Amino acid sequence: MLKAYMILSVILFSIGIVGLISRRNIIVIYMSIELLLNSVNISLIAISADLADSSAQVMSLIIIAIAASEAALFMSLFVILFRNRSSLDANLFDILSSNK
Amino acid sequence: MKNDILLNILILSPLLSALFIFFINIFFVNTRQYIFTILALLGSGVSALLALYVSYYSYFYSKIFSSHFFTWLNVGEFSIELSFRADSLSSFMLLFVAPVSFLIHIYATGYMNKDKSYGRFFAYFNLFIFFMFILVLADNPIVMFIGWEGVGLTSYALVSFYFEDIKNTYAGNKAFILNRIGDFGFLSALMILFIEIGSGGFSFETIFVNLHQIDNQSVNLIAFLLFVGAMGKSAQIPLFVWLPDAMAGPTPVSALIHAATMVTAGVYMITRFAPLYNIAIDISLFISYIGALSALFAAIVASRQYDIKKILAYSTMSQLGFMFMALGVHAYSTALFHMFTHAFFKALLFMVAGAIIVSFSHKQDIRELRGIKYSAPLLFIMMGVGAITISAIPPFSAFFSKDAIMSSLYVSSHYELFAIAFVASLLTAYYMFRMLFVIFFTKSFQDGKQNAKSMIYPMLILTFLSLFSGFLNFPEIFLGDLNVSSWLNLADKKVLIEHSTEIILMFVNTVCIMAVIYFTYKRYAYTDKILQESEVSIVANKFYIDEIYDVVFVKPLQYLSIFINKTISYTMIDRSINIIAFSYAKAGRLFSYIENGNVRYYALYMAIGLMFGFVYLYVLLGTRL
Amino acid sequence: MQNEVLFAILSLMAILSSIIMISAYRPIDSALSFIVTLVSIAALFALVNATFLFIVQIIIYAGAILSLIIFIIMFLNIKDENLPEEKHKTKWLLGTSFIILPFSAILIDLILRSDIEHNVVASDKFGGIHQVGLTLFSKWILPFELVSILLLVALIGSVTLAKREK
Repeated sequence: MLKAYMILSVILFSIGIVGLISRRNIIVIYMSIELLLNSVNISLIAISADLADSSAQVMSLIIIAIAASEAALFMSLFVILFRNRSSLDANLFDILSSNK
Repeated sequence: MKNDILLNILILSPLLSALFIFFINIFFVNTRQYIFTILALLGSGVSALLALYVSYYSYFYSKIFSSHFFTWLNVGEFSIELSFRADSLSSFMLLFVAPVSFLIHIYATGYMNKDKSYGRFFAYFNLFIFFMFILVLADNPIVMFIGWEGVGLTSYALVSFYFEDIKNTYAGNKAFILNRIGDFGFLSALMILFIEIGSGGFSFETIFVNLHQIDNQSVNLIAFLLFVGAMGKSAQIPLFVWLPDAMAGPTPVSALIHAATMVTAGVYMITRFAPLYNIAIDISLFISYIGALSALFAAIVASRQYDIKKILAYSTMSQLGFMFMALGVHAYSTALFHMFTHAFFKALLFMVAGAIIVSFSHKQDIRELRGIKYSAPLLFIMMGVGAITISAIPPFSAFFSKDAIMSSLYVSSHYELFAIAFVASLLTAYYMFRMLFVIFFTKSFQDGKQNAKSMIYPMLILTFLSLFSGFLNFPEIFLGDLNVSSWLNLADKKVLIEHSTEIILMFVNTVCIMAVIYFTYKRYAYTDKILQESEVSIVANKFYIDEIYDVVFVKPLQYLSIFINKTISYTMIDRSINIIAFSYAKAGRLFSYIENGNVRYYALYMAIGLMFGFVYLYVLLGTRL
Repeated sequence: MQNEVLFAILSLMAILSSIIMISAYRPIDSALSFIVTLVSIAALFALVNATFLFIVQIIIYAGAILSLIIFIIMFLNIKDENLPEEKHKTKWLLGTSFIILPFSAILIDLILRSDIEHNVVASDKFGGIHQVGLTLFSKWILPFELVSILLLVALIGSVTLAKREK
């Protein structure tokens, strides 16, 4: 059972990375990040079930709390970015680029 | 080794005077001319006196002077010392080199009077004498090579003295470059010699002691390469083309360098290496043939030249050919004696030519210098003496020396050499008297300036010497003692000739030469035949040798240099380095596209790196998992 | 037996909805399929008896965070011209999944070959709020306090960021 959960966790993690790299829409990028966190949660819960230790569930809880605060900040970032550029394209933010 | 103070002073005094003149010339403007004159004459006069002293002691008391400065190089078994030695051969050379140089110095103070580069001239002149002394007094071939190079360098500086005219610089370049080709041969010979027997010390004595250790092929090679050096220095075929062009320098330069001293360096060097040439018999024969060819060629070309100095230049080349012919049949003392007398009469002839040029407003073409017998009677007498001497009429000096050469050629049973020498001596009389008759024996009249006394007196002394110096080596048949030959004590081949044969030879020679003089008189004296001779024949254009050299050697080298410069240096090397630098810049620009500011791309690159890492991990651990 | 079937269905739901999430064009579509993912993950929590976290996941994650996202999407009034036109979306997705493949392949391989199931027997009350609460406030008190500070920081930060310049 544990192995199945962990394999599922790995698959979801990969899907999250794929979504993070491939999409240009910043909202989809943000949701892929959330998916990464969730896959880690799955893995933690499975381990806690296997070892009968509650610490892993506490860790999971804390991760959810952190995800919540991160969501708040992300949202305010979206508001600002959309206000400035009125577009949701991640490729527009390339001031770090070396070739103009 | 002991240090002979007199020898040191002899060598160093021209150097010191040259340096003083040089510094004064650079640092002080508008110095009086007499300061330079005093310094120059001191430098060469002191050494001339000392040279006479050394020769006196060397001849009468067989004393050897030697002087050792320092060890130049000391590597393991090989060592090169900077030492000088005045044995009989060197003293004999000093006997005529130093006094003739001093006389020409006096002459030059008159010739170069009021010249704006007076100081520079005498600095170079004294420097030349210094290097000539080093060459003559050297104790080992390396020191001799220093002198060898040095005289080449100063002759370049003196030939291109009037450098404002670019042609003179070209002439100087030509002299130096052809000398350099000869120097290459000399240096290669020295290197081979050094490799073979350098380990036992490298002075001349030790070389000749160890000479038997070298195998025959190397000996021949060394002898040939040394002669290449002599070919360049003494203007023999094929490296002679610089000598006529070198007449672009002032006449004292021609008198000293191209008559008495530098061109004789080749002869001196071969005589110094006499034990070597006694072993390498084939190369000696080769030397004789080259000498014969040069003598004949130069005599033919001289008979159709119109410039006084060029006639004399080819005459020098021809006389040197005679000397080399004698050297080739191992008659060293004879060749040296001819060099001795030649120095006097050739320097005299050049000085007379210079006096004529100066007196008659720098005209040098003999067709324009006609009719000066009564306006310059002294010059007429002196040139007449010179012409008679060079034609080997008895009892003037060259008769004895040239006749000795002819005898040794006859005895060597190479009769073709004797025939060529005979024809060449007839031609010598022809072209010298042609010059004399055309200039002096005409009905027209020209007036000119008077010559300075400083020019006249040395010429008088040299006239005297060219008349009577033959008696120093009076041959046996006239009950003489052969003083010079016995003094030199070189490894001559003994010339055994019947007295009667020798007298017949002398008689035949003299009669034929008289006939030639008469023929020349009939042809050129009081006629205008000279004006009818064309200027475009092959002979008059020196057989187009310069043009041939230009096409065969100079132009291909120029094209090769241009090719190397444009194609190899610019296109290949420069361009390839530029391409490397350029491609780095381009690659950098290409890589800059990776940094496009998009963080997602950075994540992609990280993922790609991760992929490679994991693939590698999978491959590494795949079999073991 | 029952557990395995349930697990299979739920995991399949999670994977499919996450794939839809990352490949949808409009953000509202991705948000909605993300909700499906979150709920199935919560169900998976419940399957291993972590009942407290099942509730927490639904209330906080799906209920608060996702509704915040949907609220912002609607608030920003995103029209189709504001969205980036992703011409090569499929190529990117396939390429990246190909790149990620070795990574996940090795991990899955490791997991399959390893020996990590301990299967410790737990009590009935395991995973309930009582147990989790005890552990939270005894061993994990310090991270708990720090997380509360973090929430404070996030609160202030988001207000500061979104303020309009006067």
